Order: sequence, then C-alpha cells, then structure tokens
Amino acid sequence: MSRAEIEQLNHETAPVRAWLMGLAAWLVPGLGHLLQGRWVRALLLGGAVWLCFLGGLWMGGHLFSVGGNEQGLSALLQLPPMIANLGSGVLYIVSWFFGAGFADDPAHAARATYEYGNTFLLIAGLLNYLAMLDAFDISAGRKA
Amino acid sequence: MRHFLVMTAFAVVAAVVFGTVAKDTTHDRVAYGLKVFLEFMAIGMLLSWILYFLPF
Repeated sequence: MSRAEIEQLNHETAPVRAWLMGLAAWLVPGLGHLLQGRWVRALLLGGAVWLCFLGGLWMGGHLFSVGGNEQGLSALLQLPPMIANLGSGVLYIVSWFFGAGFADDPAHAARATYEYGNTFLLIAGLLNYLAMLDAFDISAGRKA
Repeated sequence: MRHFLVMTAFAVVAAVVFGTVAKDTTHDRVAYGLKVFLEFMAIGMLLSWILYFLPF
C-alpha cells in the first residue's frame, strides 16, 4: 500500500456505526466492545471501569458537577474533574440522579479514604474514554 | 497497609486497561500490562519514600 493510500485511509470518514459504538462504549462501560463481539475486551475494560467507579464511591469519593452555585473561577476549577467524571457515562448519570457521591459536607470529606475515592472516580471516567476510543477504532476498522 | 492495597488496586485497574487497548498481540498486551503495573508500583513506592523524608 502506498503512502498516499495509507493517508487517504487515515482521513476517510468513520462510518456511523463507529460513532454509535463509541457512544455505547461511553454510555455503558464495556458495551461498545460487547456489541462488536469482543467479549474478553468488554469484560476487561468494562470490568475495570465499573470496579474503579464503584470502588471510588465505596471509598467515599466525590463526584464533581458544575451546578451554577460556584462563584468566580470556582466553576472553572470544577470543570476538568467533571469532564473526567462524565467519562463514566451512565454510572455518573445514575449517581447524579440518586445524588450518590455528590455530597459536599465536611464529615464526608473527613473520611480517610476520601481522596482515594476521588482519584478512583476520576480515573474510572478517564479510563472509559480510552475504552471508548478503542471501541471506535475497532468499529472503524483502524484496529484489529 | 491500606495505602499500599489501594495503590495496588489502582495499578491493577490502570494496567488492565492500558494493556488491553495497547499493542497488537495477546503476548505483547500481557507484557505491556505487566510492565505498566510494575512501573506504577515502583514509582509509587519511590514517591512515597521521597515524601516520607519531606518535613512538611
């Protein structure tokens, strides 16, 4: 395959199916690979993200959101961790719906595992972004 | 001990994902996952010792 052909292949528009797989992978960790019949990958990636997120909640971690109550730069500071948390897809949405992990009281923050929980919740979302890109690439034929 | 266990859990989870999404063959993925796990653990231990000697 010539260099021009490879470049053309790289710039080809990804099919709609790939975007849907990416969306499914983001929404439910592991689903994007599961729908493509990649059971082992789905189990490993989905399992890791679910475990990380639930572990973070169990340790008393805090989920970030921009609620509009913040003043000045406060809202801006909440944005990057919220984007990381949002990577967990439905896990974040369900937690938001039930108010789990969004408590902002000193007693909650005083737990010895609070910071660990925060980190686990952030990492769960970021790892799921990686899994989402992987599912997208597989569906688009860019990856075996 | 709790800190070590949490660090290990974190390294396992991150290594599983990194190993799964990277490389092309199963052998390479396992090797890369193990490498990432060991690096997380080693760097974590190293940083913990450095922080231990800091007076603040």
